[in-house]
Amino acid sequence: MAELSDNQNLERGIVVRDLRLAFGDTLVQEALSFAIHPASIFVIMGVSGCGKSTLLRHMIDLARADQGEIVFDGKRLVTGDRAERAALQRRIGVLFQSTALWSSMTVGENVALPMQLHTKMGAGEIADQVAFKLALVGLAGQQSRMPSELSGGMQKRAGLARAIALDPDYLFLDEPSAGLDPITSQRLDALIMRLRDALKLSVIAVTHELPSIFTIADDSIYLDNQSKTAIAHGDPHRLVEHGPDRVRAFLKREPIEAEETESI
Amino acid sequence: MSMLRAGAFDVSERATTSELIAFETESGTPVVQLSGDWGRAIRPPSAAHVADTLDVGGQSRVVVDGAALDNAHPRVAAFVHALGDALTQDNVSLDTRDLPDDISALIALASPTPAAPERPRRPGLLARVGRRAGAQASVARNTANLVGQAMALTPALVSGRAQTRWRDFVELVRETGAASLPVVTVVNILIGAVLGFIGAVQLQTFGAGMYLADLVGIASAREMAAIMTAFIMAGRIGATFAAHLATMESNEEIDALRMIGVSPFEFLALPRLAALSLMMPLLFLYGATLAIAGGMIVAHIVLGTPPVAFVERLQDAMSLSEFVIGFVKSIAFGVLIALTSCYIGLNAGRNAAEVGRAATRTVVVCIIGIISIDAVAALCTNALGI
Repeated sequence: MAELSDNQNLERGIVVRDLRLAFGDTLVQEALSFAIHPASIFVIMGVSGCGKSTLLRHMIDLARADQGEIVFDGKRLVTGDRAERAALQRRIGVLFQSTALWSSMTVGENVALPMQLHTKMGAGEIADQVAFKLALVGLAGQQSRMPSELSGGMQKRAGLARAIALDPDYLFLDEPSAGLDPITSQRLDALIMRLRDALKLSVIAVTHELPSIFTIADDSIYLDNQSKTAIAHGDPHRLVEHGPDRVRAFLKREPIEAEETESI
Repeated sequence: MSMLRAGAFDVSERATTSELIAFETESGTPVVQLSGDWGRAIRPPSAAHVADTLDVGGQSRVVVDGAALDNAHPRVAAFVHALGDALTQDNVSLDTRDLPDDISALIALASPTPAAPERPRRPGLLARVGRRAGAQASVARNTANLVGQAMALTPALVSGRAQTRWRDFVELVRETGAASLPVVTVVNILIGAVLGFIGAVQLQTFGAGMYLADLVGIASAREMAAIMTAFIMAGRIGATFAAHLATMESNEEIDALRMIGVSPFEFLALPRLAALSLMMPLLFLYGATLAIAGGMIVAHIVLGTPPVAFVERLQDAMSLSEFVIGFVKSIAFGVLIALTSCYIGLNAGRNAAEVGRAATRTVVVCIIGIISIDAVAALCTNALGI
């Protein structure tokens, strides 16, 4: 990936510039700068506790960074006015780590709610959309099931259907394959790639599952929890051969030197 | 030739709809022509509506033509998919032609909707009554089980051999006891004062203002302080316990306890039972005293009875048995609240709504239970003449 110049602005896509993440006085990550190109899959990787999910929460505006900026399609997320930010948020779909399906609603109602709240679609069209979105993720006809009646993989797919309910341009996935068996996880990866192609989505995924990283990633960033910043950018297939030591060890699932394994 | 029945769309929809969709026939096969910019339509037609109004004319095939679409908006894909589903139910197949590539790719990605599974037949009245009764029987059995467990484990608890953490118990005592003092104080003083006002006005008309102490004292000690304190504790503590245990259940924390060989009842319910049945009578004594004080203040203000006279009258009017009755009832209320909240909490369903429902059910069941126990106690004391 080309280094990012200071004034680079993508017309489409996301630019993160000099972002600093911290909880109070505890620094999580700093000096994060990278760009995400449209219709690509960008993976944020790193060991547990390095701040992957924190970065994701900042990018979807669930948390505010104390320094730096995040720019969507040339518009700054944080300093934009309220209406602009709301419009931007409508173009962002999120699949949460625990799927976060609303447990008191049926699967169909879960997918319908964003459309009911954010669009002027009539009930008939929403029903069509719900049926279609569920069919896209392979849950056709499951509208009236409750989330608790679904298996883990089906819950993830239902969460995905809800995330793409508003035809977003950006899809954020927090540990999409966590807790799934290899087969289900592989199917979910294939689904994510098909959705990217069909819906022209930019997918931003946080994950530490190696098979998943190598399958889906077009581009990636490695967050290091010792130097507290990103130490590698680029296609993981390239990083596994030419990246810094710690990134290669991570991608090859090799042990790192003893002095560095203090935090597990 | 239009395949739409007249008046199929209402006026407000027609303006937008006619630009997006048209119906034709080609050598007998119905053709749905899609056109315009679906992305900007206010209310594009819904598939169910089109499927209902489309006159298939006995054909087994319908064609959707997308040649006139301005762009490839995903809305079109959802519409075509849903139309296909709706027509399949009538055994009509849907073919597409000249759709934008992106739309075709999207539709291809969507899996077909399986036929709706047959709805299980609603069981007959007798079966439903039977099932309900069976469910009630199991609640009764579980309740008996719970009470039995509580009694069987009491010796272990008293002798300190129960599998429970003393730190938890101490914290629970603080939470149920000390932390409840402010609300118990306010409510009981006010209840005593209200009793005082009602009594003062009525007794004054007979010139029997002196006897206000009898009324406030006996009513507070026998009934009001015990009941009001129990209500407060049902709402404050019962609901907390139920919600806490229900959340633990939904997080599999209870299963984790079972797996390390700890009985959830012994570890979680027993300390709560002990804390509540210990603190309730103490809170009652405190509450009853404050209620009487509230009455005394009102007597002084409204009737001008000096506090000393009020207390002297109290000593004559009340016997220790009034307090004993309230005291014993309070213990029963404490046991009731603890067992109810733990039972409901440990048997709650595993989602967010169930946690709230468990809390509410606990409060409702406790209030009914408190009143029932109180009524039975009133009957018994009346029959025994105490």
